[in-house]
Amino acid sequence: MGLPLTALKDGDSGIITSIKANPGRGRGGSWGFQKRLMEMGLTPGTEVTVVKSAPFCGPIEVHVRGSRLAIGRGMAERIFVETCR
Amino acid sequence: MTKKLTIALAGNANVGKSVIFNQLTGLHQHIGNWPGKTVEKAEGTLHFKGYVIDIVDLPGIYSLSTFSLEELVSREYIAVERPDLVINVVDASVLERNLFFTLQLIELETPIVIALNQVDVARKKGIKIDHEELSQILGIPVVPTVAIRGIGVYRLLEVAVEKIEKGESKPRQIKYGKEIEERIERIASLVEKNGFKYPSRWTAVKLLEGDEEVEKEISKIDPEVSQIVQKMAEEIEKIHGHPCSMVVTSEKYEVAGRVARKVQQIMPVTTPPMNQRAHALTTHRVFGYPIMGVIVLSIFYAIFTFGGYTSTFLSDLFYSLQPLFENILGTGILGELLWGGIIEGIVAGITIALPYIIPFYFILYILEDSGYLSRVAFLMDVVMHKIGLHGKAFIPVMLAYGCNVPACLGCKIMETQRERLLAAFVVTLIPCAATTVVILGLVGKFVSIEWALTLYIIDLVIILVLGRVAFKVLPGEPTELIMEMHEYRFPHLKTVVNQTRFRLEEFIKIAFPLVIVSGFVIKIIEIIRLLEPISALLSPITVGWLGLRPEMGIALVFGILRKELTLIMLATLLEPADLSLLTPVQMVVFTLVTMLYIPCIATIAACVKEFGWKKALLVTMFKVIFAILVGGIAFRILSFSGIL
Repeated sequence: MGLPLTALKDGDSGIITSIKANPGRGRGGSWGFQKRLMEMGLTPGTEVTVVKSAPFCGPIEVHVRGSRLAIGRGMAERIFVETCR
Repeated sequence: MTKKLTIALAGNANVGKSVIFNQLTGLHQHIGNWPGKTVEKAEGTLHFKGYVIDIVDLPGIYSLSTFSLEELVSREYIAVERPDLVINVVDASVLERNLFFTLQLIELETPIVIALNQVDVARKKGIKIDHEELSQILGIPVVPTVAIRGIGVYRLLEVAVEKIEKGESKPRQIKYGKEIEERIERIASLVEKNGFKYPSRWTAVKLLEGDEEVEKEISKIDPEVSQIVQKMAEEIEKIHGHPCSMVVTSEKYEVAGRVARKVQQIMPVTTPPMNQRAHALTTHRVFGYPIMGVIVLSIFYAIFTFGGYTSTFLSDLFYSLQPLFENILGTGILGELLWGGIIEGIVAGITIALPYIIPFYFILYILEDSGYLSRVAFLMDVVMHKIGLHGKAFIPVMLAYGCNVPACLGCKIMETQRERLLAAFVVTLIPCAATTVVILGLVGKFVSIEWALTLYIIDLVIILVLGRVAFKVLPGEPTELIMEMHEYRFPHLKTVVNQTRFRLEEFIKIAFPLVIVSGFVIKIIEIIRLLEPISALLSPITVGWLGLRPEMGIALVFGILRKELTLIMLATLLEPADLSLLTPVQMVVFTLVTMLYIPCIATIAACVKEFGWKKALLVTMFKVIFAILVGGIAFRILSFSGIL
């Protein structure tokens, strides 16, 4: 299953293994959010690098497919990665 | 004979699409809405080689699914209305992500020309792209451009027209994995048999992606298709171990990645370019915030200084004309009605719109175009979460402290209708510049500056509480921040000026007629001496419940027009005309109610435009009742505690 993206340290990279859906409401949303992430390039098998996170549990900045994305923390918690060493 | 052509511009957000649009069409453009939708449609015309070409600038989107209204509108337009050609603007510095969108356009089987834009930015990042090879792989003409300097834009138009003249040649379709490809073909042939408004292969792909809109429409024609699709989707899920929609999207991205890697050469850059260092600094977890504070505050300071100066100058100029006017029309009822009812409204509009709104929008678009606003959204995401929104909502919130009208219109920045409504609800609770005049001019001047600040804090607490309640009550899914932060760049002046012009026109169209008409109505009420009966009518609320003086009810009525009028009217209505004779409690309660009770008429109009009459009235009614409730409670607390 791997680690959630939020567990990576700044500068670490990982390969996405899965994106967990969120049943019900609350942080992260459920319908469409998975699809949205994938359309922004976060598909399983993709390498992501965490650049940094905003303070007080803010969004995280990642590098993926040559572009720079900001992802809300609630969603980032549902993206699972295997760390690359 | 001139022939008419239609060319649409499509692409991701912030790839320089609107710069190309402005380079192509110059001043011959206008912005309207897509029929029946609250999505903006920018159109322009140009003459080229004997053609009259209509250019349609589609919204900047990442996909052609149904996540946002923008995406839905774009795909309906391309698939159903069929422009003669689509120019796909592609950011050369983020090729892979942009090609993902290109592949979707290809699936829509529309004739395409690619504008490979920002090749200069890409080169600085160490990326070199072989555009001829890209063209060969995709079977689409590719024109490298640096739109901001006009490079390649003429060639782009030439190639586009050539392509249209040559007639339709379908772009090469991408191939998915064998197990998916087989199923796409089977579904496509079923769709083909039924006849559908969208291309069959695209429909098949969308159905496998689980597109709800397409599924709904296809099942109206042939419910059997969706059953078959469901079965096939399950089969694919079994083979791959991931949901079918995920597999299809992944494979499309894989193709985009493969193409990108084939045509681009990446050379490591030894020193990070200026703009990347600027990015690191402006999003820094410590330094990012003071930098943002300084930028935002100095902008507000500059606008208010400039605006205040220009506004006084303009209104002095107009009022020096008043004696001349009175000489012509006399000081009778007609003269008074014309001057006080109509001309004063126009003057007020001009003295506010020109000095404040123009620099306001101008700076906003410079910030947006340069890329700074997305950094602000990144920094403020945590704060906006407290009221159930995400970082992008900070932008309308920030605008609202200047004026609620552009803020309301700016809620379009949110992706879904739910988020837009929520943001607008919060925005109308924020004290705008005019309300600030009342807060500082009454409470700040006659009570104390601490009490003025306390009012702001009370307002923030109310926003926090009501925002959370609205977040819980509103149906639908909350969305979180997913946003690309493109490289910093110099804004394109012509584009910024044009955007400012459009927003100004929009503001004038929305605000002016209402401000003038309602000013006229209030003037009539004044002339036929209805003010006293109205204040008597309101007195159970104003005097009985809120503990105010009866004249204050009238002042509040005037505030519907523009909030600072509450203070101006109060100063003239009071008997004796001295604001300092009011008790501190009355001042605080009056200001609190002014702050909360109603979005001004122009803001209501902006809400109506974005959300329709029903929702706008609901929000307004709620706020009137809420303000009266809070005001009454505050009156009782303040009187009994005796802290004032």
